[in-house]
Amino acid sequence: MVSAMENAVNAKSHLPVFQYFKNIYLLVVSILEGMAVTMSYLFRRPITIQYPYKMEESIDTVLPPQFRGILEVDLPYCIACLRCANTCPIDCIAIDLEKNAETKERFITRFDIDISKCMFCGLCVEGCSTGAIHHTKIFSGTSHYIENLVLEFVDTPVRPFKKPKSMEDIPFDKSGKIAKNKLKDFFSPPEFVIDHRKGEKYTRRVR
Amino acid sequence: MKELADRLFLMIFNIEPANSPYLALWYALIIFLASFILLNFAALFAGITSFVERRIAARIQSRIGPNLVGPQGIIQWLADGIKLFLKEDLVPKDADKILFRFAPYFVFTGLFGAFVALPFGYGIIAADLNIGIYYILAFTSLVVLGIIMGGWSSNSKWALFGALRSAAQIISYEIPTGLSLMIVIMLAGSLSTQSIIMAQGGWPWEWFVFHSPFTLVGFFIFFTSSLAEGNRVPFDLPEAESELVSGYNTEYSGLRFLIFPMAEWANMWVVGALVTLTYLGGWQVPGVSLEAIQSSLLLILIGIAIFCIKSLAVVFIIIQLRWTLPRVRVDQMAFVCWTYFVPISLLSLIGTMIWMLIFPWETIIGTVIRIVMFGIGAGVTIWYLLRIRYNYITDKPRFERFKEAPQWYPPWKMP
Amino acid sequence: MSNSIKKEDDLKHLKPLTSPFEEEMMLNMGPQHPSTHGVLNFLVVTDGEVMHQARPNIGYLHRGIEKLAEMTPYTGFMPYMDRVDYLAAMFANQAFAMAVERLAGIEVPERAEYLRVIACELNRIASHLIATGALGLDLGAITPFLHWIREREFINDLMEELCGARLTYNYMRIGGVYADIPSGLPDKILRFLDHFEPIVDEYNRLLTNNEIFVRRLADVAVITPIDAVNFGLVGPNLRGSGIEIDLRKILGYSAYPNFDFEVPLGKGFRGTQGDCYDRYMVRMLEMKESCKIIRQAIENLPAGEHRAKVKRKLKVKENEFYSRIESARGEMGVYLISDGTDKPYRLKIKTGSFTAMSIVEKISQGLMIADLVALIGSLDIVAPEVDR
Repeated sequence: MVSAMENAVNAKSHLPVFQYFKNIYLLVVSILEGMAVTMSYLFRRPITIQYPYKMEESIDTVLPPQFRGILEVDLPYCIACLRCANTCPIDCIAIDLEKNAETKERFITRFDIDISKCMFCGLCVEGCSTGAIHHTKIFSGTSHYIENLVLEFVDTPVRPFKKPKSMEDIPFDKSGKIAKNKLKDFFSPPEFVIDHRKGEKYTRRVR
Repeated sequence: MKELADRLFLMIFNIEPANSPYLALWYALIIFLASFILLNFAALFAGITSFVERRIAARIQSRIGPNLVGPQGIIQWLADGIKLFLKEDLVPKDADKILFRFAPYFVFTGLFGAFVALPFGYGIIAADLNIGIYYILAFTSLVVLGIIMGGWSSNSKWALFGALRSAAQIISYEIPTGLSLMIVIMLAGSLSTQSIIMAQGGWPWEWFVFHSPFTLVGFFIFFTSSLAEGNRVPFDLPEAESELVSGYNTEYSGLRFLIFPMAEWANMWVVGALVTLTYLGGWQVPGVSLEAIQSSLLLILIGIAIFCIKSLAVVFIIIQLRWTLPRVRVDQMAFVCWTYFVPISLLSLIGTMIWMLIFPWETIIGTVIRIVMFGIGAGVTIWYLLRIRYNYITDKPRFERFKEAPQWYPPWKMP
Repeated sequence: MSNSIKKEDDLKHLKPLTSPFEEEMMLNMGPQHPSTHGVLNFLVVTDGEVMHQARPNIGYLHRGIEKLAEMTPYTGFMPYMDRVDYLAAMFANQAFAMAVERLAGIEVPERAEYLRVIACELNRIASHLIATGALGLDLGAITPFLHWIREREFINDLMEELCGARLTYNYMRIGGVYADIPSGLPDKILRFLDHFEPIVDEYNRLLTNNEIFVRRLADVAVITPIDAVNFGLVGPNLRGSGIEIDLRKILGYSAYPNFDFEVPLGKGFRGTQGDCYDRYMVRMLEMKESCKIIRQAIENLPAGEHRAKVKRKLKVKENEFYSRIESARGEMGVYLISDGTDKPYRLKIKTGSFTAMSIVEKISQGLMIADLVALIGSLDIVAPEVDR
């Protein structure tokens, strides 16, 4: 097949009659060429991945290690520096710290990530010094109730992690078990009760 | 059809048909049965073709296609049909309600009417009209009436555009269609579909398409202008989805909408059968004389199979063209018709006339020319196959190195 | 008061559109239309198929990204820049990063520059794939588009391995890139390019040389070089008219001076210079040039850091700077004014699609409706980039 460049040179400077038949020739040949391409695809491998019905490998192995999925917090390793909450450009991370008046000990009482807001930019993960907050490979998070999309990582108040002096990479669990646990009741409607700690007006979700 | 009915009557009741008082009733029953079978054939063909087309299109586009409803998605078309049945039948507020409701029926009637004169095998035809071709051409024109009605009555500018384009297109392309059919009619000396097939032979060089260079050109012109009349790519201007949203059927929904695409797919069979019977030898079995076919039921069945295979091959090419080509512009559509198709088809009509005088069908030189023409056709096909092979081979090693999977994936391999 | 007068003026301007002459008809093309490439609206006055006027009506996708910049720290604004042009997010990343680096006086390591080039050129290929494929789709050729989508999917996979996301990459950081390139990836990119280059030829056989396609585009919507400059066209649209302006060559930003590549120009390949086919061909040829650049960049990838040390809370002293880069849609500029805090005082983004929209009204007179679709497709307009 002549390239477009050659055609550009040759196309003009012809007699009209010659051009008439050349048009027919070009049309027929280019259509046959195109049909040869499409026909050859009947014998070539389609690239469809039949997710989730027929996967040759599981989705976790297909996704690269850098994949930025739903966020997850390995709470025992959180030092409560609030860096992730501060770097987040859309404030989808909310952390509450409470101080016990008697023992002067700090507790993380709330660590919520609103994944309906999260845009998976990874800035919070980058700032975390222990790697407690990290991306999982979970990407499907549809729910009938938007309230369910707030992941609450604190069940009972925890003490912040004390960073050892010789900081080595902590072997935290990146498989996404924690987030998966949180996402379990994704499709059931959320239940609310009155939060007496805050007052009669406030409600609290029951998991 | 009458002969067949008489023969069946004789076979079943063992009475000479002319003597029976219930003959009229029997004919009525046969007519009802024939139309029932044809109607179901048209509808089933449209449905199954829609599924097959989607699968072919998917493979052409490196996809898999519908494969979830039933085994390998085989009843996807039924699910789509049921879905459209259950949809609400919306009529736009300011639409011309009567015309809007009637338009799909015109489309359907015009299309289905053509099936009456289409043969399937020797004697297997609903009505062997002596003006068969003329009847088909006249009746399919009803389709465009339905399209214009639908486009006009929708009270939508997009639909109106589609309808007007359709009108312009049909008016233009009726002429090359008619002229290129005239070639065949002249060669066969008859307008009846069965007689046209009987005038040809079983071997490829006995088909009308290889009779002379002029008929070869006429074949391409007839095929292309049939595409234009059936609103298929590259002439799908009336429903150009990237320009006119959906063209004449923009405002339709539910069952009424269903009829338009169904008619389009059923029309593919009409085009395929028409091309087959006029130029590609119809149901003729290679190496068997006409008398032998008449006397043997087995040969008639083989003839039906041959006819269907040829028609389906044409249908496949129509489908493949749709998924290969871009669409022409509306002025180009008219331009191509009036400066290329009409003069060339006229020329090939006159050329065939002269050719028939100089090289008659039966003479040796006529046969030699036909075989040479067949050689040219075969040569083009072989070139085409080599290009397919070239396209397949060029990317093979690199694709396999990149994806680490074999490239070979034939169409019969089900995902 | 002044506001209301302005409104009336606007209405007067629109009046010939809404009340056309007797034989004319007004069509609303979009916002929901298959070939407006996003949410755009064209007010089209037609006489039958021939258009007398087509006026683009923009603003349906305005998200106020420029305003958002004024309340987001420099370090946190990068994800928003992804959203400016979701088909070529890498370029917006780079434009913003370059502006901040220049203002804060940060030196970018050379390896980071090379990685930026690789990512940008991959993204340029992906963006041009969509542009040329969607042009085919607008003209009714569905299969070529899906073939291009398949190739783009491979690029998306590579990008996912490089930066963890497929569309909104957020790969660049102020002072470098987010992560170093994984060890196996350069080889994989090269293998992809080996596969991709013959596919471009195959695509030419399927679509580019197809006579119907050529006839649909050649001599249609010709933009003369003078018009192209006057209306401020940039990038492939400008080069399609034969004007050799490529910021990669002229400015030589990032690591581009180190690479050997050509700038394809429209020269009337099958018709007049500056027609739709030229703009299409420029993009097709640019993809091959991008392949060349990526090969060179991977071959000469220098060792070293991928990211300069930047303070966590970056404060930029009072200054202003206009950084511009050659994005897939032409010149993309970021005008940044800083006021000494950790947030920009003002951010202005200049994009190629926006200027391309302005020429539609002039060029579209006398075209057909089908040609308008081809014109929009060949200008490669991306709606979010128009509105920001």
